[in-house]
Amino acid sequence: MLHHLVYIDPGSGSFLVQAITAAVLGVVFFFRNIRMYIKSIFTRTPKKQDDNNPSA
Amino acid sequence: MPATIIHHHPSSYRDPSGFIFEKNGILYRQVNTIFKEHFDFFIASGCYEKLVKKDWLIAHETVTENLTGDEQWYATLKPERLSFISYPYEWSFDMLKDAALLTLAILKESLASGMILKDATPYNIQWHTGKLVFIDSLSFEKYDETVPWIAYRQFCENFLSPLLLAHYSRMPLQEMMLAYSEGIPLAVTKSLLPWRTKFSIHTYLHIHLHAKYSIKNPSSQTGKNTAFSKKKLLNLVASLEGLITKLKLPESKSTWSDYYDEASQRTDYLEHKRTIIQRWLEKIKPVATAADLGANTGEFSKLMASKNIQTIASDFDPNCINALYNEIKKNGEKNIVPIIIDFSKPSPAIGVNNEERDSFIKRTHVDLALALALIHHLAIGKNIPLEKIADLFQKLCNYLIIEFVPKQDEKIKLMLTGKKDIYTAYKEENFLSAFQQYFSVLEKETIAGSERTIYLMKKNEA
Repeated sequence: MLHHLVYIDPGSGSFLVQAITAAVLGVVFFFRNIRMYIKSIFTRTPKKQDDNNPSA
Repeated sequence: MPATIIHHHPSSYRDPSGFIFEKNGILYRQVNTIFKEHFDFFIASGCYEKLVKKDWLIAHETVTENLTGDEQWYATLKPERLSFISYPYEWSFDMLKDAALLTLAILKESLASGMILKDATPYNIQWHTGKLVFIDSLSFEKYDETVPWIAYRQFCENFLSPLLLAHYSRMPLQEMMLAYSEGIPLAVTKSLLPWRTKFSIHTYLHIHLHAKYSIKNPSSQTGKNTAFSKKKLLNLVASLEGLITKLKLPESKSTWSDYYDEASQRTDYLEHKRTIIQRWLEKIKPVATAADLGANTGEFSKLMASKNIQTIASDFDPNCINALYNEIKKNGEKNIVPIIIDFSKPSPAIGVNNEERDSFIKRTHVDLALALALIHHLAIGKNIPLEKIADLFQKLCNYLIIEFVPKQDEKIKLMLTGKKDIYTAYKEENFLSAFQQYFSVLEKETIAGSERTIYLMKKNEA
């Protein structure tokens, strides 16, 4: 077991809210990634053109 | 007993892992035995080296000797010395924003080495040779994936709160950080933010929901049984990063930021002033440090910096300092520290016993101070007697270059419109007698294209 030096008060409920927040964010980022993936399918062609021109 | 006295730094009392102390004018950091395991891992994991290589963390030398004679001693570090300490309530919006993003970047980098930041305060960050740098090498501890980030609330109160409030109010609010020097409480931020911010998912989670739970839930719920993981923490960091990146302070035409545009129409005035200062700089060589008081957008600070003089560029106008900050960041200027200071009320000493954070006056002692087109703002704009202004400047510098703006000057006429002229004592002879209490006049010149005079003064030996 690690010996943690807790000298700042994490705040009552701050750990709990962090767990909830992180869970909500998991869902938010999951859908954002799907959206980004779909978007990337449609924008793939212009991106390749950019790749051909590394100095741009 | 050692003959030399060891001073514990008054701001270094909170964290039991170690402390800062001064011996023979050199600053050291002691690592205590209690923190041995974390500190050894910080070095062995390569985390320290990686962060120093990126210029994100201040480098240190290890001193093998126990300088304090303390029983708790494990190691002594000698960190690279900073030329000037500034505090977040003196920083412009973009500087605080960059400090927040640096903190998150360091957190991510340390996670990759199996470590985590155990605190997240802007006081751990300083402006050093043209960059923001993290200065507390005892902020890193071994990462336990199952435990949420202990400094999450501290981060939200110290970085996110002031940035969000400034963003939504469209006002530079760095003075709120002076009032709430330990971070703006979430409940305060929540109540001051516009109602619509509840519909922004990230602001809702980090502020509104966070504030609600901080109040409602008893401390027994410290998350011992809340499941957490590295993936969850990285999501939290990504959300904070995304939110902060989007925050900005709208550019506004500030009182003085168009001063140079306007003054540039009087090119000979500015050019002549520049020539005089350059000539005097040669005369009083060597000048290593300077403070440009009322720097505006930093024209003359840049002149100092180009001569390799470490310069504090200070102005009361947050927009000017923000613009200067962005400019020196872009150009990689190393010699300027841009800070917001109102000389009618420079930053006070605050914190425990009023010793934790020094006042601006106590922190500032430079070879040369520049006070160009400043005195009338203090004497006429703020009704401060000339004697008090002289007393302020003599506390800051050995040499002073000061511009006297006579009453018949256009700028003063403008200041006096709609204001009763009660400033009968504002005369060049009174200015001189006030300053000659502390200084001797070495040079005097009238600036071309104006009726203004500029003086080079040297502080009298005590």
